[in-house]
Amino acid sequence: MKKVWLLMCAALMIVFIAACAGSGTGGGQEAGSDSGSSGGSSEGGGSDEGSSDGEIELRMSWWGSQARHDMTEEIITMYEEENPNVTINTEFSGFDGYFERMAAQASGGNLPDIMQQNFGEYVNQYAGEGLLADLGPYIEDGTINLEGVEDTVVESGQVDGTQVGIPTGTNAMMVAYNPEAFEGTDVEMPSNDWTWQEYMDITSGISEATGQYGVSYTEPDNFFEYYLRENGKAMFNEDGTGLGYEDDQLLADYFSMMKQQIDNEVSPDYSVVDQIQGLEDELITRGETSIHIKNWSNQFQTLQNTTDTPLEIAMMPGENNDQGMFQKPSMLWSIGENSEHKEQAADFINFYTNTVEVFEVIGGDRGVPIKPDVREALRESGLTEAQEKIFDYLDVVAENSSAPDTNFPASASEVLQALKDTDEMVMYGEMTPQEGAEHFRQEAESILSEQ
Amino acid sequence: MQQTHTEETQFPNTPKRNPSSKKQKKPVKDVDNKMGYLFLSPFIFGTIAFMLFPMMYSLYLSFTDFNLVGSPQWAGLANYKEMFTNDPVFWESMRVTFFYAGTAVPFRLIFALLIALVLNRVVEMVGIYRTLLYLPSIVGGSIGVSIMWRQLFGNDGAINSMLESIGLSGHSWLGDPNTAIWTLVILYGWQFGSSMIIFLAGLRNIPGIYYEAAEVDGGTPLQKFFRITLPMLTPVILFNVIMQVIHGFMAFTPAFIITEGGPVNSTLLYVLYMYRQAFQFFDMGYASALAWVMLLIIGIFTAIIFKSSDYWVHYDG
Repeated sequence: MKKVWLLMCAALMIVFIAACAGSGTGGGQEAGSDSGSSGGSSEGGGSDEGSSDGEIELRMSWWGSQARHDMTEEIITMYEEENPNVTINTEFSGFDGYFERMAAQASGGNLPDIMQQNFGEYVNQYAGEGLLADLGPYIEDGTINLEGVEDTVVESGQVDGTQVGIPTGTNAMMVAYNPEAFEGTDVEMPSNDWTWQEYMDITSGISEATGQYGVSYTEPDNFFEYYLRENGKAMFNEDGTGLGYEDDQLLADYFSMMKQQIDNEVSPDYSVVDQIQGLEDELITRGETSIHIKNWSNQFQTLQNTTDTPLEIAMMPGENNDQGMFQKPSMLWSIGENSEHKEQAADFINFYTNTVEVFEVIGGDRGVPIKPDVREALRESGLTEAQEKIFDYLDVVAENSSAPDTNFPASASEVLQALKDTDEMVMYGEMTPQEGAEHFRQEAESILSEQ
Repeated sequence: MQQTHTEETQFPNTPKRNPSSKKQKKPVKDVDNKMGYLFLSPFIFGTIAFMLFPMMYSLYLSFTDFNLVGSPQWAGLANYKEMFTNDPVFWESMRVTFFYAGTAVPFRLIFALLIALVLNRVVEMVGIYRTLLYLPSIVGGSIGVSIMWRQLFGNDGAINSMLESIGLSGHSWLGDPNTAIWTLVILYGWQFGSSMIIFLAGLRNIPGIYYEAAEVDGGTPLQKFFRITLPMLTPVILFNVIMQVIHGFMAFTPAFIITEGGPVNSTLLYVLYMYRQAFQFFDMGYASALAWVMLLIIGIFTAIIFKSSDYWVHYDG
């Protein structure tokens, strides 16, 4: 019964927190206390009354690793030193549980002033409920300076034309490969303009030459989305009520390609993939494959740190990869619509976006800085080799990409789970690629019609 | 459970302690009542705030569409209708859960009974054995053991290493949809400790005279087991079966940690599916409906087992 109780208690907690918020003592960090220490910046349990003498208290929340927590606290301290009248109370946790807590605060009209948001269906959901402040005016009046940032990057923080978030940094899908494995073979290395045919030839060629896997198995949620974009289609249609492609042959072809890779032992199958535990355990880290297509560019550094030989980055395959590639906001900074200090919160976001020292602390942890002048200054002050590769790569992607899709419906994660389930069934041989493609369409349409 | 049961029944019989209290039936003063409620209040408050209210709230949510962020939208029976008519994953998880409960529960009970029978004979150092055999149940529900299990049955895990060292080829236990569920069944069976202790207590309660009588009549050990031990043990078996069936249906941690429901949903236990709906897809209304269906299923099963007990449980002796 325990698990049922757990769910019920979760439901109860939401009501409780909602009730607490209703009583008007909005400040402080009642829900953040479970996330451990909150550094030197918090003055615990503060209420809004302190703001009468120009003192401003902001609440800020994010998810991430312990390293990110420490670095973010450091950045907050920097900001507080520059703005002695501002105190920022912090709430942080791992990704698991973060959105449950934000949801509880949202239902109580008590979202943090500054909130780390997730790109995709998450931010769409919050924006759809009108919970996030419109940042457009702050960009216009210069509170948040986005001069020089590419339009597609700025737009990736918009939902239905409203600027509800500022990207914390950008990511892109990447192909990481180990050049040393190609030395002494006649197999060409992946390049920024390799076609799907070359992808098949190179992965199987290097697999044959090294006697190992040629390429890691790429799970479909991101890869198939890319595949669709590369074919001029999208995962979801414009208003998010259905799939964004009509022809099931696209998915069937994709499945056939992946299945062929597995059958030829160019890629590992799911029984291997499912047992990989984190980046440190990846096949390329263990030297069991030469090409790795799985992660986003902000993870390249960790991947490199755990791998003995230097790795290189290339763009995803396909003739139209400039159409398929996109710069994704790693995360977004948003401001709660209920915030009483939106101006100050916007000022913090501006500080985070435009201060070189911020990125000297945080590195690539929240993606590559969106401001070109910040990137330039960081290059001058010296980057690690891996960081430099990421920066160079993002520069290439910026030139050769189109805007990311933002039309994710609320049930996108359920649809992507269905895609992954279908992918497993096809790869295990329980369905043919054709059947799998039809099966996924049925599932997806059933899920999307529920709303 | 047993403990409290015996205490309750013994209390009125405690000698010389106000023997007439039952008959007197004095009108109880209000002030006594108030004191009583005062002492009960932490429990009453806890029950209402943390059990009754959340339960009722989740019942309400099960008739709504609620994504956590907005407010619940009344949806009538839509969630239930969706579940039964348009959700193949629901049926898949149902099938997996019934298979799991249907194999893991008997497996654990038989295992527990066998160990209890053996321990019942051991005389020396019985305390140490009991403790050692009980240990897996203490640590068993924890995340740590689940992680260990994943290592044991992993492709490069201990089981495969052992198989390879004796010349057999390894197997991808967790990666094969046909074997993954069995690793969970074995884990459930391995945590037999609490059932075993209860069986052991039941065995100790069987009076020796029956066995002596059987010996005089020349009964074989097998006859003794089936004619004496098993019938005398049926009340304890009933208790264990009910508890374990409930546990089996509610299993979550192993599937969540070891296999994450995969491969191909072959270990997608019901509660894990519920968790996904609630905390991955943020469909709280649907998850609540799932929870109530599970409650109903467990209720029906418990009722059936209780009813059937008239035919196989012996309370005499």
